[in-house]
Amino acid sequence: MATSTAHYAEAAAVEAARGRGEPDWLINARAEAARAFAATSMPAPSLRPWKYTDVTALDIEAFAPDAAFAPRMTGTAPAGGFAGTLAAGLATHSEVVREYLGAVVQGTEGKFTAANAAQWREGVLVYAPRGKAFDAPVTVHVDGREGAIFPRILIVAEAASEVSIILRTSSTAAALLVAGVIEVVAQADSRVRLLVDTRWGAATQEFTTLRAKIGRGADVQVGTIALGGLIVKHTVEALMEGEGSTSRIRGVAVGDKEQHFDFVTLQELIGPKSTSEVEIKTALAGASRSIYYGLTRVETTALGASANQENRNLLLSPRAKADADPVLEILTNEVIRCGHGATVGPLDKDALFYLQSRGLDMRQSLTLLVTGFFQSVLSGLDAPGLVEELETALREKLATAELT
Amino acid sequence: MTQPILEVRDLKVSITEKPDIQIVKGIDLTIRPGEIHALMGPNGSGKSTLASTIAGSPTYKVDSGSILFRGEDVTAATADARARMGIFLSFQYPTPIPGVTMVNLMRESLKARRGAEVPAREFLAELRATLAKLKMSEDMARRYVNDGFSGGEKKRAEILQMGLLKPDLAILDETDSGLDVDALRTVSEGVNALRTSDMGVLIITHYERILNYIEPDFVHILVGGRIVTSGGFDLAKRVEHEGYDPILKELGIASAETPVAEGAAR
Repeated sequence: MATSTAHYAEAAAVEAARGRGEPDWLINARAEAARAFAATSMPAPSLRPWKYTDVTALDIEAFAPDAAFAPRMTGTAPAGGFAGTLAAGLATHSEVVREYLGAVVQGTEGKFTAANAAQWREGVLVYAPRGKAFDAPVTVHVDGREGAIFPRILIVAEAASEVSIILRTSSTAAALLVAGVIEVVAQADSRVRLLVDTRWGAATQEFTTLRAKIGRGADVQVGTIALGGLIVKHTVEALMEGEGSTSRIRGVAVGDKEQHFDFVTLQELIGPKSTSEVEIKTALAGASRSIYYGLTRVETTALGASANQENRNLLLSPRAKADADPVLEILTNEVIRCGHGATVGPLDKDALFYLQSRGLDMRQSLTLLVTGFFQSVLSGLDAPGLVEELETALREKLATAELT
Repeated sequence: MTQPILEVRDLKVSITEKPDIQIVKGIDLTIRPGEIHALMGPNGSGKSTLASTIAGSPTYKVDSGSILFRGEDVTAATADARARMGIFLSFQYPTPIPGVTMVNLMRESLKARRGAEVPAREFLAELRATLAKLKMSEDMARRYVNDGFSGGEKKRAEILQMGLLKPDLAILDETDSGLDVDALRTVSEGVNALRTSDMGVLIITHYERILNYIEPDFVHILVGGRIVTSGGFDLAKRVEHEGYDPILKELGIASAETPVAEGAAR
């Protein structure tokens, strides 16, 4: 049996790609990514986005890629569009895939993205052609088992199209490494919604990069709800290239035991009058911790832009910990509004007593307060049925969370 | 004689985080079903501390003495256990809880009070009936708890919850403060509309004006953490006309201005 390390070698990646019948340009990209993977070291804590998540001791190559992994999907594309695996999309929409795959997140830019670009199988392509709207959200299920998986999702929304995607992740209790890449191309006046429901098993470590290139008048909203996993690091980046483009990144995490959540956001405002909002909220029990590093960069071209980032953390146990690091880089004077705020603290004692004086015990009071705290994020998500399900899952998690 | 709803026996209370500051210095108080008691006194006399302590606030620590509710010693019981038994505190400063609607809170608290699920239809019917009694609109119920409420709305929201939970003992902590005359009348009429003959009421107030709407059977004057004198409604009237000082002088107490820190009384 080959060692895990062999799977990550260039020759193995190329051979596997050939075996899947991939076109030459993709095989070349695989080879390039495999070389980049070999040549790149793990990100060091000296890099600001990695300051509190030290992965230098993590050996990706110790996790054998799960050859049987494939995402499941439900959803129907409008005429001329596509919702299926990237592997199938290569046959029917080869030009779309060739133009955009790897164009938003390059395979050579980092250790995890290189591993993904070299190793992803099946993948997901959601393509909304010009002026067309999907009737209903496309749901993608990523169910991991053990070893390593490399979810790869490409979302292309052409001008004035509309698409909504719900990504639901789960895994068993076995050790699993997830290195995901989600690329979003939102062309002029398109509307893209992406909701990520993260419910990995207790031994899953996830490192996913989501990046959206947002064109003129386009609107991209990303919601990420993290309840499961041992380490969950989501890097969510909005490149606001077009005039009047808008983006909204919302996140919620409930931590318990040894869970570690790390959210990194980038709001890069390039187009004039672009607007961007980030709101990340966490509630942390046990010895869990959350890290938030957010950068808002307003370029000289982004006249009349507005941006805000907010990170609020509730500590439900004395062992929980949160670090917030919001950063603004404003290169033009002509911004409408540019703000940030971050808080870390325990539950409001007065609010707790108020609820207890109404007959709710400590646990019920806390659960009500925390769900109320998340309401500003949850009520903004465009998926009514799923939001209720998430609220139930959230309450269930709080019902047994460690408070001391 | 019927069993008292509340018996406070030689109660001494300090601040949990500052145990050397004793605010309530030995209070005895008995409230029977149907009785309305008014507890009056100058700022810092310990009125709100007593109210919060009876409700079980962790901010305060009972140094000695006891609190009996329907004959059961609840001195060590949690605030939520007391509430489920039937003690209701209408807060002087109701806390805003963004993200939690009044309806949501009221449904949860009614469920806790009854110890059983309350079917949605039944809950709505009771909510509507209580709103109607209080001449309140349903909009209030859909808003987040005390969030962005005016002073009057906050107090009415407290009375709404009281009406729904039907407590055996209602403690109204300065429910009149911050209200204009119209709001005071509305809130008072609400309390009167919701009162039952088995309910005991303790009204904490700085001024007697609320007592013109909710007439007390007993009036107690609290000064420096002790009840210095008790009487009927006429005692409240006397406070209205003369202030506290002449009453205290008669009792041989120097002045009403022997306050503990004002902040401590919250």
